[in-house]
Amino acid sequence: MKLFVDIIPLFVAVPMAGAFLIALVARKIKWLPALITNIITIGLVFVSFFAVKLINIHKVLVYDVGAWKPPMGIGMVLDGFTVFMLTTVNLAAFFVAIYSINYVERFTSKWKFYTLFLFMIAGANGVVITGDIFNLFVFLEIASIASCSLIAFGTEKHDLEAAFKYAVMSGVGSLFILLSIVLLYSYTSTLNMADISNVLAQKDPNNIILMISALLIMGFGLKAGLVPFHGCLPDAYTSAPAPVSAMLAGAITKSLGLYAIFRIFYNVIGMNQALSSIFMFFGALSMIVGVILAIGQWDFKRLLAYHSISQMGYIVMGIGLGTPLGILGGLFHLFNHSVFKTLLFLNSGSIEYATGKRDLQKMGGLSEQMPVTSGTCLAASMAISGIPPFNGFWSKFIIIIAAVQAGRYGYAFLAVLASILTLASFTKVMKYAFFGKLKDGANSVKEAPFLIKLSMTSLAVICITGGILLAPGVYEHFLKEAVDVILEGTKYSSVVLQAVLK
Amino acid sequence: MLKQEFFKFDKLSVFVAIFIIFFTAVVLLYSSGFMRRRKNLIFYYLYLILTSISALGAVFSENLLLFMVFWGFLGVLLYLLIGFGDKDRTSSTAKKTFIIVGGSDAIMLLGLALVWRISGSLQMSQLSITLDTRIAILAYLCLAIGAFAKAGVMPFHTWVPDTAEDAPVPVAAFLPASLDKLLGIYFLARITLYMFKMDLAMNMILMAIGSFTIVAAVMMALIQHDLKRLLGYHAVSQVGYMVLGIGTGNPVGIAGGLFHMLNNAIYKSCLFLSGGAVEKKAGTTDLENLGGFAKYMPITFITFLIASFAISGIPPFNGFVSKWMIYQGIIETGKNGGYSWILWLVAAMFGSALTLASFMKLIHSVFLGQPSAKQKISDLKYQETVPTMWIPAVILASLCVIFGVFAYSIPLKMFIFPSLKENVSFYGVWNAGLATVLILAGIILGLIIYFIGTIARTRDSDAFIGGEVLEKNPDMRVSGTEFYDTIKDAGILKIFYRLAERKVFDIYNIGTRITFGFSGVLRSIHNGVLPSYLAWCLLGLLFLFYKLFR
Repeated sequence: MKLFVDIIPLFVAVPMAGAFLIALVARKIKWLPALITNIITIGLVFVSFFAVKLINIHKVLVYDVGAWKPPMGIGMVLDGFTVFMLTTVNLAAFFVAIYSINYVERFTSKWKFYTLFLFMIAGANGVVITGDIFNLFVFLEIASIASCSLIAFGTEKHDLEAAFKYAVMSGVGSLFILLSIVLLYSYTSTLNMADISNVLAQKDPNNIILMISALLIMGFGLKAGLVPFHGCLPDAYTSAPAPVSAMLAGAITKSLGLYAIFRIFYNVIGMNQALSSIFMFFGALSMIVGVILAIGQWDFKRLLAYHSISQMGYIVMGIGLGTPLGILGGLFHLFNHSVFKTLLFLNSGSIEYATGKRDLQKMGGLSEQMPVTSGTCLAASMAISGIPPFNGFWSKFIIIIAAVQAGRYGYAFLAVLASILTLASFTKVMKYAFFGKLKDGANSVKEAPFLIKLSMTSLAVICITGGILLAPGVYEHFLKEAVDVILEGTKYSSVVLQAVLK
Repeated sequence: MLKQEFFKFDKLSVFVAIFIIFFTAVVLLYSSGFMRRRKNLIFYYLYLILTSISALGAVFSENLLLFMVFWGFLGVLLYLLIGFGDKDRTSSTAKKTFIIVGGSDAIMLLGLALVWRISGSLQMSQLSITLDTRIAILAYLCLAIGAFAKAGVMPFHTWVPDTAEDAPVPVAAFLPASLDKLLGIYFLARITLYMFKMDLAMNMILMAIGSFTIVAAVMMALIQHDLKRLLGYHAVSQVGYMVLGIGTGNPVGIAGGLFHMLNNAIYKSCLFLSGGAVEKKAGTTDLENLGGFAKYMPITFITFLIASFAISGIPPFNGFVSKWMIYQGIIETGKNGGYSWILWLVAAMFGSALTLASFMKLIHSVFLGQPSAKQKISDLKYQETVPTMWIPAVILASLCVIFGVFAYSIPLKMFIFPSLKENVSFYGVWNAGLATVLILAGIILGLIIYFIGTIARTRDSDAFIGGEVLEKNPDMRVSGTEFYDTIKDAGILKIFYRLAERKVFDIYNIGTRITFGFSGVLRSIHNGVLPSYLAWCLLGLLFLFYKLFR
């Protein structure tokens, strides 16, 4: 067993080493940064799959950084929820990396892009895998700063403006998170998450916990882009290069925002009714406000950005319900959203690559010129709108059933309403971008290059077949492990502390 | 969950499935003539076959969730199939259709969740829910909305006329006219007869919706001036009869509703296919520019005529039999007391009369009358269509006759009665055989008199108006489009027609306006100013403090 524990730090160490390697060595050779990045991302995907297998056997694994035993030293914890997130993040990163090979051709200094990209992955993986709350903050900052620079990568006027907004808002979020970590540390005298949970369980309820909760929800809400903390997100997603938007929507906001929020509230502080209703309220608010804003947009990427907010709302509502079914639905939707929203952003990038346009009103009739983009975009649109048998249908259905099962009929209705409006806005996308008559001067438009097509097609296949994850035999190995970890609540501390002793 | 049954074959689903296969075959045959020389035909046929398979999957599903998967996928296929139309508005129509159909599917999903909450099972045959709680009623309504949107019952009907007008004819004949009717009414029957125990109030609601649909849609049909759009409104109107029949809640009425579903699918697809033949030849479906086609396309004319008689409920065609059964069902509900049945009966009969009126206009404008000036008579293309296009119409038209004349011995005995739980008893048996003989005798007698009279007294002559040859004076032509325009200006109807033409009653337009209203408000707050975004964060934080420390 000790043999395999050593794979845990790889999730952080490998991308980080890759980043430095590119910055130091590979900057002079044109093709090397892309190659290194792709080798690393494909490796991480395989290690993630291996970690899934590992968790099926061991349930929890703890790695002691520098051989210092937690709670004194920093621990890295691998459990069901963690491998679930790692798989989601690294799968998205893998497809985005393939896509980037062709897409990034248009930028100068590609090696900077790949360096920052790998830092982003390292940060996202680090947040997920660490068992130490201050360590979590450090990785959070790595990912935030990397993504902030990537948003500004185009260095046009609006890119810089968006990056500035993102920097400020994300900085505010980090500050509030740091403040709450400080408060938590002063109250419990420990930084290890399992240990914090242990200490909190022995103390009486105190108002300081409520204060910390409020600050944490706001801080991570900013990172996840929940309404009303979403202000900078649409600008950021719109200005960033398509692969970066795809990473932000598919991996970064999820691990930085959602993973952290639910890990801390379910496993460390402990969930209660008031928190649950707050999560559901914010979830429903994001869901409705996001989709209503999205439907009026004409900029393809901005429309997708608002949909991202709306879909985040579904996830938060589902997990916030706190019932096993709700958590399952929320987590499954998290995975599905990562797949189809990555795909949609890649589609938008592919259109921008081929035509140079983002405005839906200026597109039209592209389905003949770009059959692969059009087909994959249709699959992703159906998935996000919850049309059977695409993957989004299953997760939305579980969330709706869970809400009804918990007696929350109003929330179930809002989920249905948001689903209808999502469908409406994606039929709008299909109509204006792909159907209808070809616009003048668009006859010379060509389909995007091979690697872009490959990446989009593979993601579309996952969109269509994603429902398999619920099938008996597959479900137990992947989703159930993650659901179980969230459901075990604050028992997390004893589970982890026991694993440390082994 | 895996161990439970996924599929189930009972009489009702087998009956519907047989006709799904039948219509698929007919439409495939027709498409091979109609869709020739179009692009991406491989996808067209792929989608058609997939539609057929999904429809079969849906009717045989025993598990509601499985049913939902097939049902929802049909919406996608409809969306893609409409996309094969070549009009300018096609993509908008496809969008609108998919939003209404897919949106109602989402509502159905809520219904599914509610059903699960109530009974803990999604197996159709295990469900027997009484409508005594608010949740149960809500669940029924949610599921019914899905069925209504698919079948095109008001107020979820607005996609049907649009699709009929803008989709390729075989698609219009296949989905909105036949398959979606079969499925929608099948599901309505399934939930109404098997899964829920209906009560009087809910039956009353169904009957009210049905009656309203019949009359309102046929009134709209009267004033249309596009062949396919007019047929589309009739497709909506006819669904009203089926809902009305099922809503009566007694065996005769339900059998009539199901039989009408079958009959409607037959004659409505026949009408669409014949209309499509005209469109293919004339290149237009605008009634203003059509006329006099009976001379050039006799087979199409006859099939269209038979189907028109059937839809108007003229004996001995099939539409009459099923309408007659529905009327009996309505009268039967009178036994429960109350006088509302008179209203439903009047609405059904009035709708039938208006249907006849509207088809008189249609037949005059398309097949009789004078050719429009825009048609070049001498053109060689004005002749009967290719066999692959008229054979399906002939098959359907002969079914209209057979199912009418031999209604009891063939369709009712073989398909309809076995699919019901209870025995059907008629109290006003209509003897189709005798009536047919009498009608035939009447027609033959009429022909004899006509020929004797002709031989004896008259001579042929050219049409003569004011000393001019009619064909050379297009102004003298009566196209028939304006037959009923007077009702547009009649009293209170005028207001309704005005509003309807501005699409005020269109659920899609209402939804769009509300959504974009909200969207506009929200967008105006998103001004891109960083401090205001930060201020929202602060407000959110205050809210959190309030909720947590309360």
